[in-house]
Amino acid sequence: MNRIFAIALNTFREAMRDKLLYAILIFACLLILSAWGIGQLSMHEELRITKDVGLGGISVFGVILAIFAGVNLVYKEIERKTLYAFIPKPIHRWQFVLGKYLGLVLTLTAQVALMSVVLWITMAVQGWSPDGVMVRAVLLLYVQVLLVTAIAVFFSTFSTPYLSGLFTAGIFIIGRSTPDLRALILARFKDSPSTASALNWAIQVLPDLHLFFVSGGLVNGVPASIHAGSYVSWAYVAGATGYGLGYSACVLALAIFLFSRRDFV
Amino acid sequence: MADPVITVVDLRKTFAFGFLRRKVQAVRGLTFDVRPGEIFGFVGPNGAGKTTTIKMLMGLIFPTAGTCMLLGKRVPDLGAKRRVGFLPETPYFYEHLTGRELVDFAGRLFDLPASVRRPRTEKLLDLVGLTGAASLPLRKYSKGMLQRLGLAQALINDPEVVVLDEPMSGLDPIGRKEIRDLIGSLRSEGKTVFFSSHILSDVELLCDRCAIIVRGEIRDVGPLAQLLSPKLLHTEVVLDRAGAPEERRLTPGEDVDAFLRAAIDGGAKVVSVTPRKEHLEDLFVREVEADQARQ
Ligand SMILES: Nc1ncnc2c1ncn2[C@@H]1O[C@H](COP(=O)(O)OP(=O)(O)O)[C@@H](O)[C@H]1O
Ligand SMILES: [Mg+2]
Repeated sequence: MNRIFAIALNTFREAMRDKLLYAILIFACLLILSAWGIGQLSMHEELRITKDVGLGGISVFGVILAIFAGVNLVYKEIERKTLYAFIPKPIHRWQFVLGKYLGLVLTLTAQVALMSVVLWITMAVQGWSPDGVMVRAVLLLYVQVLLVTAIAVFFSTFSTPYLSGLFTAGIFIIGRSTPDLRALILARFKDSPSTASALNWAIQVLPDLHLFFVSGGLVNGVPASIHAGSYVSWAYVAGATGYGLGYSACVLALAIFLFSRRDFV
Repeated sequence: MADPVITVVDLRKTFAFGFLRRKVQAVRGLTFDVRPGEIFGFVGPNGAGKTTTIKMLMGLIFPTAGTCMLLGKRVPDLGAKRRVGFLPETPYFYEHLTGRELVDFAGRLFDLPASVRRPRTEKLLDLVGLTGAASLPLRKYSKGMLQRLGLAQALINDPEVVVLDEPMSGLDPIGRKEIRDLIGSLRSEGKTVFFSSHILSDVELLCDRCAIIVRGEIRDVGPLAQLLSPKLLHTEVVLDRAGAPEERRLTPGEDVDAFLRAAIDGGAKVVSVTPRKEHLEDLFVREVEADQARQ
């Protein structure tokens, strides 16, 4: 356990000393702050716009940061040969991957927390009184970030950052639009139910990221909105978190399986 | 005899590379063992398969066939890893860390408590002459400094066995001598050292035994004195005939005494008489040439 922690801490430290990550993060915070300015232009809608832009920003930048760091996480170690000295140390390969992943999780947690704090301060200035709705919304986005990270790390155990980034972004986009895709499949393949069920099965295997960004849609037939006071319940958040963490664990197990079998040449 | 520290039996590695999956047999059936307390040199020209063999020993790549054992355990074994130190070929380390942080990080991977790690880190940094650079980030380190830092991190667990891949490469003559002395002092601490090199003089000066590897095969294993044929190549005699130097090479059959007597009687001074036996260099060249002739 100590060793996994040492690897996680080292990974966190590396990220903290990476200037590019700061640049992305500062940009994200500026975007959230800019929501305030946009809000000023529209009468009485300031808070609404800040919420939408802020959550959107956290979602997009959280995922960008996750993909960006995730696809490099293991690949860079192999490419730069930094793991040559450490794989022979008394650690299992799975401990190495898990430590790297946890280090990245630590980094992303700090980043999501920072963006959330910026958003909350912005909203508070606009007269928002803290409620559980925004906490639940941010928590869902955070779980989504963890899931996307696991997928990026999975690809980075056997593929270049560029390809891993494309694959992960692809899965993200498909995962975000599962209901639309289901509807599309239903309409397009009315006459060939076997094709439709195969495609539906494929979608079933891919992560359902739609679970994590619910505002403005229907959840179990009930409209959910961060504005109207009919947002998803804590029970829903718990369920979605369970799904996200379970899915991440499976993907990570696969990543470890591949990483444990490969040659470091 | 005590159990070997490293045992390699019929070890093979075939790489498939490129789009066409072309096959390269990098290691073709190596068998040797390294005994406790010895300095074992693993010598061969570039591309002979030294790094490939060492990577299999360290669990970085998997053998295509054969076995390798460290401290009596099949690789990889956590218990064995705990007692081994490893310096990779031209080591690369995290550029965001300082020298001190890197050695400390290595110590954490051995689960050493801070009370052991801290003083040992300082001692090792001092041993490799990096105390002054310990707080610099590694991106500012030269190749030679990284090599020395690599040695420091390899010794953080006070290992029984030290495996070094080309420890002297990238160093200037003084640096080379320092590393040689360090390896010598490891032996006097009772550690077993297994190191690879393509630099023959390093091996000749250091090793108790060595293995010569050419194109993925072992050509010879044994004490250096046995690998080098004890036979005399020639005797070099340098004379001074009235101020004019003269050099003669006498073949092993010639009578050196008679030659010298005749020379002295003829008014010459004897400057030097050197029996030239085979050097590792000669052996090396002989092996590589034999290999090329076979192609
Ligand atoms: N990843 C790889 N893919 C294909 N061939 C390789 C790979 N690594 C090493 N080789 C080949 O294996 C042989 C041995 O290489 P290596 O073990 O690095 O030699 P040495 O360390 O003795 O210089 C060389 O011919 C090299 O080209
Ligand atoms: Mg080599």
